[in-house]
Formats: sequence, structure tokens, C-alpha cells
Amino acid sequence: MPLTTETMVLNMGPHHPSTHGVLRFILRTDGEVIHLCRPDIGYLHRGLEKIAEQLPYAHFMPYTDRLDYLAAMNCNLGYAITVEQAADIEVPPRAEYIRVLVAELNRIISHLISVGTFAMDIGAVTPFTHTIREREWVNDLFEELCGARLTYNYIRFGGVVFDLPEGFLDRLSQFLDYFEPRLEQYNRFISKNKIFKERLVGVAVISTQQALDYALVGPNLRASGIDWDLRRDEPYSVYGDLEFDVPVGAAESGVLGDCYSRYWIRIWEMEQSVLILRQCIAKMPEGPYLNKSKRKLKVEAGEIYVRTEAPRGELGFYLISQGGPKPHRLRIRTGSFSAMSIVEEVSSGLMMADLVALIASLDVVAPEVDR
Amino acid sequence: MEAQGILERIKSIIGEADLAWVDDQAGDPYLVIPKEKLRRLAINMKGDPHLAFDTLMCLSGVHNMGEQDEMEVVYHLYSLRHRHQFILKVKLDRPAFFPHFYLRVDSVSGIWPAAAWMEREAYDMFGIHFVGHGDFRRLLLPTDWEGHPLQKDYQEPDAYRGIDTTREEIEGILAEESG
Repeated sequence: MPLTTETMVLNMGPHHPSTHGVLRFILRTDGEVIHLCRPDIGYLHRGLEKIAEQLPYAHFMPYTDRLDYLAAMNCNLGYAITVEQAADIEVPPRAEYIRVLVAELNRIISHLISVGTFAMDIGAVTPFTHTIREREWVNDLFEELCGARLTYNYIRFGGVVFDLPEGFLDRLSQFLDYFEPRLEQYNRFISKNKIFKERLVGVAVISTQQALDYALVGPNLRASGIDWDLRRDEPYSVYGDLEFDVPVGAAESGVLGDCYSRYWIRIWEMEQSVLILRQCIAKMPEGPYLNKSKRKLKVEAGEIYVRTEAPRGELGFYLISQGGPKPHRLRIRTGSFSAMSIVEEVSSGLMMADLVALIASLDVVAPEVDR
Repeated sequence: MEAQGILERIKSIIGEADLAWVDDQAGDPYLVIPKEKLRRLAINMKGDPHLAFDTLMCLSGVHNMGEQDEMEVVYHLYSLRHRHQFILKVKLDRPAFFPHFYLRVDSVSGIWPAAAWMEREAYDMFGIHFVGHGDFRRLLLPTDWEGHPLQKDYQEPDAYRGIDTTREEIEGILAEESG
């Protein structure tokens, strides 16, 4: 007698500990094997693009904090650069260096969360407490800088809102001296852990072509073997004056574009961010931290698309102005959005437990998907 | 390739008729093409070895209610192979009656799979229909939501499934405070 099996439709989420915010997946499974996985998004949709059309340019800055709350500085920076280019505002050099400094610091703590929750999602709870401990230190630094620990609202058109407090750079160096050896510790602790590797190597492979087709960006794109980083290839702010490597996946585990490659890229990027931070500390110029000459913002009619490299990849702002005090249209294109759109393509045939690894490895943050 | 070179190449593919190159305003220049030519041009822009636009960076809807009521679909294309970019626009009239008959454009999701979700979002927010899309439904809003919120003449509903969306209560408190 032939063995008959039945497929079952299963809901994963919206409230599931591994879904990184409020996400829902509708799965059609045959036992443990996924036949079809349809992401259902929109639970965190706040209508940011509509809000942007109803507010003067400067008032939208706090909303960009909420765009991706794990990397608020990078979202601030992307929006500020967009409006500065449209309104032709110059940024003094000290402000540029402060911006790169906070952006890279934010990249480190965003990747810390990513790496920590990654380990937690596949069953290792302890590493998360370690990464959170390191992140706490940076949160203290940010609090000193701007009074907020998560949604900073720190960057302004033409600079930043406060200068660095006295002794800030020394305390930052202390943190970096402490943090650098920790990375090696993580590697001993999780990266090279046999069970961890067994769960990730060769799982949910995204080929180079698929990564291009679905317009993946940032670490997810580089893990599939494409050497592309906006900080190096289309330098904005002062990234052109800084030296750093761009980590690209090279099939360390034997498979290019699997969950393990995506994990490694983030560890390497943290190393490179530490390098960039040390250069920023050494090169920090004196001078004004905010260009106060343009009190009245005037944006000419026209349109502009500006992209910057946020921790989750390319963050694009498409701004259309008709010359008024508010944008005519502000479209926000985020890295998590394209990462989510590839899940349906990659996940069929995976085991259910591997879907959790896939979502964690793409480093999807729900508010950035939904906006 | 520079934008002018890409433009010449496009003209050699789909002809010069009905193309409008806009570079007289601030910011990025773009090319407006008639919607009938979109599909053919998109296939060539990806396949032509000199153009090779392998990624769709962004697909956006835009609604203009100035002299003319019209919608735009904007395609920001990038070629990782040649490291150049180009912006295409398709304009759609939005007449007062039966607008959904007119707000139709060919889907490019078969050419750039990244477009699949972006087109669904453009439909969700603007009500633009993409013909030939394999899985066409709302993306972010609930399926029973009425209207398309990023249209300029969108009226915010007072309630959704019995949940009040107005701010009268808050405004009442504010009025009390200001005395």
C-alpha cells in the first residue's frame, strides 16, 4: 500500500519569538518540510511615506528613527544627506566625521543584535546576553551624546545637533579596546561552534543570480559573493578618506550564500567598523559641528534618489519636491523589504527549523519592512 | 555609460517617438516613455550587454494633482556590471470615471523579480494595476481596506472595523489644557 501524506497549512506568527518584530508566515508543510511559505507583512505599517508628505522637512527626522530602530543613526544620516543634496546645504568637516563615527558605532550595535538573536533563534541563548552587554556600553555612549538610547534624532540638516562631550573620544577608545578582543571571543564561542555550524552551513542558499534578481542589498548581497558596498563604491560623507575592507562571502564553509556566509559577513563588518572608528578618532577635526548659515530650508523643484549603506544594506530615499515646505513625495526603499521578498523563493523545501535560521540570517527588522 | 549614451542606446531600441527626456530641473534627470513600450524596453534594458541593468533599485508610485490628474510609475535601475544608473518613468492618466481602467501598466516582475513586491505596494498605496503580475494583491494594508492612502485626494476613514481613527478625544484634552 502506498504511503499517503497530507499537507497542512500552518501559521507562524504574527507573535513568534523568532520573527524579529511582528511578522507572519503562512506555511504549507508536509510534516517538517515546507512546501510553500508566504510572508504576510504590514503589521507594523505606520504610513511613514504619507506622514512625510504632511510634515515640513525637518519635522520628519524623528520618524526616520522609527524606520529602523536598531539603526536609527544610519536612517537619520540617509535622510539628512538626501535633503542636504536637494537643498544644497554644506556640512562642516567635523560634523561629517561625527556622523560617520555615530553611523559606524550604530552599525556595530545593530550587528551585535543581529548576531545575538541569530544564535538565540537557533537555540543558543547565552550569546545574546553577551552581545547585549556590549551594546549596553554603546547605548551609554549614545545617551551621553544626545540623551537617547534608542531613537536618537541626533543628525540635523547641515551637521549634528550637539558637539561631542568632553572626553567622549577617550571613552570611545576604551570601548573599542574592550570590544575588539570580544569578537575573537564570539568566534571561539559561537562562530566556530560545531553545533552552530551544523545548523547553518549549506542551509537556505541564495545564489548570486537570485541575490541580484531580488535586489538584495548590504551584507546579504555580499554574502552571495557580490563585491559591492556604497561606502566604498559611491562614497558619501567622508568615507572616501577612510581606509577599510569590504568583506565579501567567499564560501568559507564550502557553500556560497548560505546562512553561515551571511553570519560571517556581519562579524567581519564589525571588525571593519572598529577600524573606521579608530581612524575617525585619530582624524577628528576641530571646528563647527553644525552649519547654521541656512536657517530657512529651500528645496528647489525636482527629484533626487539618494542611497546610503545602512547596517541592513542600501537605504534609499526618493524625494520629489515641488518647491514647497513639504515633500511632494518621499519614497523609502529599505534593505529588509527586499530581504523579505526573497523568503518565498528560497524557503520551499527547507525544514521548518531552518526557516527560522533563514529569517535570522537575513537580519530582517519588521518596522523597516513595513515602514 | 553616461546617461546620454544610455539614452541614445534606448532610442536605437524602441525608436525616438514619444520619448521625453527631462533634465531641466534640479536633481536626477529621467526619461518618460509611453506605457506601451515599457515591457519591450525593460526586457532590452536587462538583456542588452551594453546596458545590462541587472537590478531594480526602486519602483515607486507617484500621484500628481496639479494641472492634470495623473499617476507615475518610476523605475530606478542600476547595473552592477557597468556601474551606471538610469531612471524611467511611465505616466498614466487618471480620469474621474472608471480610473482603474486607465491605471494599468505592464508588470516587470518577470524581468526583475524584485518588482513583484514593489508593484504590490504601489497597487496598495496608489491603486495602480500591474498587468501580468503572478500574485497580485495588497501587500501592507489589510485586504478589506478601502481606498489607496497615498493618493493625494484620499479621505482618511473615521473608523476601521469599529475602531475609531479620529483624534477628537485628544483634541478635546488639548483644548481643555489651553483653557
